[in-house]
Amino acid sequence: AKTPKPAAGATPSLDVGELRSLACDALLQESFYQNKKRPLLYRDQDHTPGPFLTQLVSTLAAFLSCRNPLLAASSLDLNPEVNYYWHHGEEVVDRGYRKGRVDPVRFQIDDNPHLQIRVPKQLPEVVPLEANLGDVPVIDHKPSKLPLFKRQYENKVFIGSKVADPCCYGHTQFHLIPDKLKRERFIKAHLEDQIEVVYRANGIASLFAWTAAQAMYQGFWSEADVTRPFVSQAVVTDGKYFAFFCYQLNTLALTVETIENNPRKNICWGTESKPLYDVVEDGSVKGFNDEVLLQLVRFLLNRPKEL
Amino acid sequence: GVRQAQWLTKTKLGEGLPPSVRSIIENPAHQLEDHEEEVKRAVSHARLWDTTEVIPKREHYCPVLFEDLIHICRLMSAKYPSLAKRMLARNYRIAATWERESILLQVRGLNGILMNSMAPIPPVASKEEVLATEEHVLETFYPISPTIDLQEVIVYKELNDTGFKDGYPYSHPHTLFFLESANIRPHRFRPEQLRAKMLMFAFGNALAKARMLYGNDPKVLEQPVVVQSIGTDGQLFQFMVFQLNTTDLVSNDGIKNLVWIDSDQNLYEGALCVPIVKKGVVLKPAGIHGFQPDTFKKFLALYLHGTV
Repeated sequence: AKTPKPAAGATPSLDVGELRSLACDALLQESFYQNKKRPLLYRDQDHTPGPFLTQLVSTLAAFLSCRNPLLAASSLDLNPEVNYYWHHGEEVVDRGYRKGRVDPVRFQIDDNPHLQIRVPKQLPEVVPLEANLGDVPVIDHKPSKLPLFKRQYENKVFIGSKVADPCCYGHTQFHLIPDKLKRERFIKAHLEDQIEVVYRANGIASLFAWTAAQAMYQGFWSEADVTRPFVSQAVVTDGKYFAFFCYQLNTLALTVETIENNPRKNICWGTESKPLYDVVEDGSVKGFNDEVLLQLVRFLLNRPKEL
Repeated sequence: GVRQAQWLTKTKLGEGLPPSVRSIIENPAHQLEDHEEEVKRAVSHARLWDTTEVIPKREHYCPVLFEDLIHICRLMSAKYPSLAKRMLARNYRIAATWERESILLQVRGLNGILMNSMAPIPPVASKEEVLATEEHVLETFYPISPTIDLQEVIVYKELNDTGFKDGYPYSHPHTLFFLESANIRPHRFRPEQLRAKMLMFAFGNALAKARMLYGNDPKVLEQPVVVQSIGTDGQLFQFMVFQLNTTDLVSNDGIKNLVWIDSDQNLYEGALCVPIVKKGVVLKPAGIHGFQPDTFKKFLALYLHGTV
């Protein structure tokens, strides 16, 4: 489903000017004021958008921590690892001594978000657990045809830190689009309609892996399905264009045995990518878009009802 | 070590931390004790929980610990709104040049993580103390030349650059952070050398800023420039506050600069991922041992210095 998520909670007296100046300061520092050498080959992301995103999120999170007590108890990870391993569907082994036998198809996601906020309490659910908002398309190819599931190395499940950490629920992840998938390349290859697909795919895959790993840390698995929904958010960006996603995990039962009588579906909401600013010229930011900043602020202020 | 750096930067050493920082630590209104739990959680996260392997390596846990401690300090801006006027700068380059007794010295390049603020730190030493440094005699190491172990380079440009363009709103360098995160011990700086490195780079930053504010002529500064410095290898912390009083560095007489160093502060004694078990008896359980809250109080006091 692709409808934009409604705003989470009213923000009575938020100083938009202050937020805008914080965001512009971070952007100007990284792109203009700091004397940097030229970016290395195919490493444009590490030169400006990466540091800008780190600065923006850390200053905004600190600024908003007085409004959102969940942020005050949060843990900020830089470049964490997120892994999840699961079975879904069946296939017949086609060569080797086990030829002809039926095996579950194994999937493994290894993800490195740029930034991640983990919190000690779960975000509230968006829709009830049993809500049914549509059907899932069925794909008949083998998963190794997709670049994400080509090889499967180690079976790991990890949310960013081990089980003993009290901040075991996820709040928001921030992803940077790598250099090979830049907008300019798509436009040059006349593939403009594929730009949004990149953002959506990144959002869905990363958020599923994160929420499912969080559920597994709490003791749920495909035979013991989740009793409460797990909600997390993500922001996918290339430094200028931002796309926002929210994911609700309703079920972990995806293996062949458990999926037969399982009516629940996992749901992801997302927006299209919108630019935060037009251009940075001579020490000032032109065409700053407050809407995108406010959406980011609303994401950061999301918290359980009782706080 | 530090004595060589002192001669090269014409600095007098004061023991412990300066009185203004100590007053922040001792002031009960700042409630530095509340954050003990959060700091313990940050240390456990960095040393025990942050990786898919059993034991994280120093290259991994040193930056993670630093980021967590800075995150805790930044969350204080809820209580002190002027703390929001700070910005971290990673991978920035500094350039500063000065002459000491006909030897041309330079400090250049990537050094550490710098925290900039909009407002400068007020001078830590009173005017009388600054004037009193005039009588202090710098320690020399005859027959060893003071430039021993320094890299001799032919440089064509005598450059003075703070690393940022003009008009940058966060123009005052506040604190420099050094992370010794190499895995192998010989690749890391020993504490004494780390302190010397901290002194040289704090001096370089202060000098570049002073040259930008007051011009290139050597003179005694009306408003001394203060730059702080914190260095760590993930467990041991070194704290330093440097005050630049003069840019007249050619001669050995006259007013000197001041530095206060608090060295070798342990944040915790040890961290074990797996408990030590001998003959079926648990000698040391897994977790953090010997946590010392005072070290974080000093870290936080240096962070808050200048705004409270």
